[in-house]
Amino acid sequence: MATCYPPCAVPGSAAGRARVARSPHIPGCFAYAGLNLTCSMSDEPRLPLGEPAPDCLLPNGRYLHELRGQPVLLAFAPEEWNPAHAHQSTIFTQLLGAFDAGSSAPEAVVSCWHSLSCHGPVAAQFGVAGQRALLLLDEQGRLRWQTTIRPGHELRTGQVLAALEALRPDAPAPCAAAGEAAAGAALAPAGGGLSRRTFVTATLATAALLLLVGAAEAAGPVSPTETQPPMPAPEAATVPVTLTINGEAHRLEVEPRVVLLDALRENLHLTGTKKGCDHGQCGACTVHLDGHSALSCLTLAVMSEGRKITTIEGLAQGETLHPMQAAFVKHDAFQCGYCTPGQIMAATALVQDKQRRSAAEIREAMSGNLCRCAAYPNIIAAIQEIQTA
Amino acid sequence: MHPFTYQRATTPAQAVAAVAPAPGAAFVAGGTSQLDLMKEDVLRPSLLVDVTALPLTTISALNGGLRLGAGVSNTAAALHPEVAARYPAVSEALLAGASTQIRNMASLGGNPLQRTRCPYFRDPAQACNKREPGSGCAALQGINKVHALFGASNSCVATHPSDLAVALAALDAQVQVTGPNGPRTIAFPDLHRLPGDTPQQDTTLAHGELITSIDLPAFTGRSHYLKVRERASYAFALVSCAVALEMEGQKIRRARVALGGVAHKPWRVPAAEALLAGKKPSEKLFRAAAEAAFADAKPLEHNAYKIPMGRNLMERALLETSGLQPLQGPAGTAFAASVGGVSGE
Repeated sequence: MATCYPPCAVPGSAAGRARVARSPHIPGCFAYAGLNLTCSMSDEPRLPLGEPAPDCLLPNGRYLHELRGQPVLLAFAPEEWNPAHAHQSTIFTQLLGAFDAGSSAPEAVVSCWHSLSCHGPVAAQFGVAGQRALLLLDEQGRLRWQTTIRPGHELRTGQVLAALEALRPDAPAPCAAAGEAAAGAALAPAGGGLSRRTFVTATLATAALLLLVGAAEAAGPVSPTETQPPMPAPEAATVPVTLTINGEAHRLEVEPRVVLLDALRENLHLTGTKKGCDHGQCGACTVHLDGHSALSCLTLAVMSEGRKITTIEGLAQGETLHPMQAAFVKHDAFQCGYCTPGQIMAATALVQDKQRRSAAEIREAMSGNLCRCAAYPNIIAAIQEIQTA
Repeated sequence: MHPFTYQRATTPAQAVAAVAPAPGAAFVAGGTSQLDLMKEDVLRPSLLVDVTALPLTTISALNGGLRLGAGVSNTAAALHPEVAARYPAVSEALLAGASTQIRNMASLGGNPLQRTRCPYFRDPAQACNKREPGSGCAALQGINKVHALFGASNSCVATHPSDLAVALAALDAQVQVTGPNGPRTIAFPDLHRLPGDTPQQDTTLAHGELITSIDLPAFTGRSHYLKVRERASYAFALVSCAVALEMEGQKIRRARVALGGVAHKPWRVPAAEALLAGKKPSEKLFRAAAEAAFADAKPLEHNAYKIPMGRNLMERALLETSGLQPLQGPAGTAFAASVGGVSGE
């Protein structure tokens, strides 16, 4: 059987992030005046399916060939830490953990590196240049499945599971079954009627085995091609924070770098506040801090202690919508609805001063909230109705 | 975002004592630009010292002028009746910048310290002497459309993005600072520096020095801020201009003009100011002043458009400040400050 490696640290931990490989250049990626207008990651992973993967020195100091005899999932992602990515890494590793490689190897160990830099030398060997990518190698070290995760997209868990299922000895055809339909069938929970979140959680609850390798060994030897020395990062210590949200005190433990948006969504499951750009450009994450509109993506959770936080969940009184919510419904002030919580939070803060604003003044005051469906005329109509009410 | 430790200070002395001895430490207030750059991996502080609990959030009278606490939000300062009435350029610059949410979060002390919007600075994959000294300047031969006309070097051609800073430079505001070596006062035009060979240093502040207030001197003239941008709202200036005009009868006693978006710091134009002093306002005079202001401009490959744009903007700002042309909107609002109007009406 394969060599058994010590388990890795919790995905997203400091050890898992310790290697920093910088790209000298990201082709086609150009940020102008702070707006990531285009990020054309045209290069797709180039390794053909079924071919043996190139051997390489992994960030943990081991060579890829040492992992023969077990499926290996290579996850390439930017070094930039992001709770959503960390969460997804957890899902990948747990899926791998739950995967039974077959009767021939009941004690099979599965592997996952969640922090292979998509700009690093390993990535280059696999033809990954800047984009997030996931590659699955079979027990013989052949590439069996690969996918690129485009900017702004997230991978469906079902795709990974389907790819893993296709590795089973009795699978109908390798990789052919790796489609969303197959994945959906494999994952469909009994009973139905579950929300997307519950569904993911339910899937994860079936993960019985969690045995990982790699990232914990990040303190090992470094590939000579990695010239950028790792940034000595302080330990990711959490601090206790009490947040007063919608009149209720919540006590949580977060790292200082966790922004309020992630604390709301990931720690407290208040997912009404949306993550759009995560850089203060779109307004989808707008909340009220002490009654004023603010961007939760650019506010540290630790700095929000002692402030009165209101989210979209705090506007309605029981089943009765806030007048602004009702006005948005009445005026059809949204299409896809993703920006709507932020729009409504910005709008409710705006009308607090009881001023009667012209349409132009509303546009100017609301310019920090983007709506890609362009429901702007209806948003303005909704706000105008409330301010004249 | 790289991990860091966090402390909340309650006095300026405490904040300075926490930051000064730690080379990787930084103050944090609104965080609107800072956290963005931390997420982009451009800034990697090891310690953030929160200065939002410091007692620096008031606006008070001072020697005929106003003392603006460094912790006052951009919104609170812009809408303060004394600021809007006596220093409309300040309110206009603030309200023509960023979005409502960001103005609510941002602080007056932090605003002038925001980093450049040069896209090469903000992309860690690109060469940038400001971000990584010695790595080169990708903008010099790159897409340098939003870059400097004045005072640049071969190390850096970045511009300073703050609107407020341009207004404060024209008004000769003073910056009160406290630091490891005690308090000192900096004339606003001396707060920022030119890049030279050390573009990593934006200002003349030493590590651990904290801005405690921005003091607006007594001023009875007219002031105005005008800004050209690519969108009607929520965009940085391509070129901007702040004017502080003091009249004596029909003639200009003193004119101070600062340009934004054209240099590593708010760019005062002494030659043009000298030309305006003692003269009667006229279109011809203002045109000549604008010509003088841009006489020494050194365009790069993609930013020569800023020269005619800047000349026209400065002329118009002078015309509007002097009353020869009407403001486009109520004084002290974003509508007065925005060339081309706001919001596509």
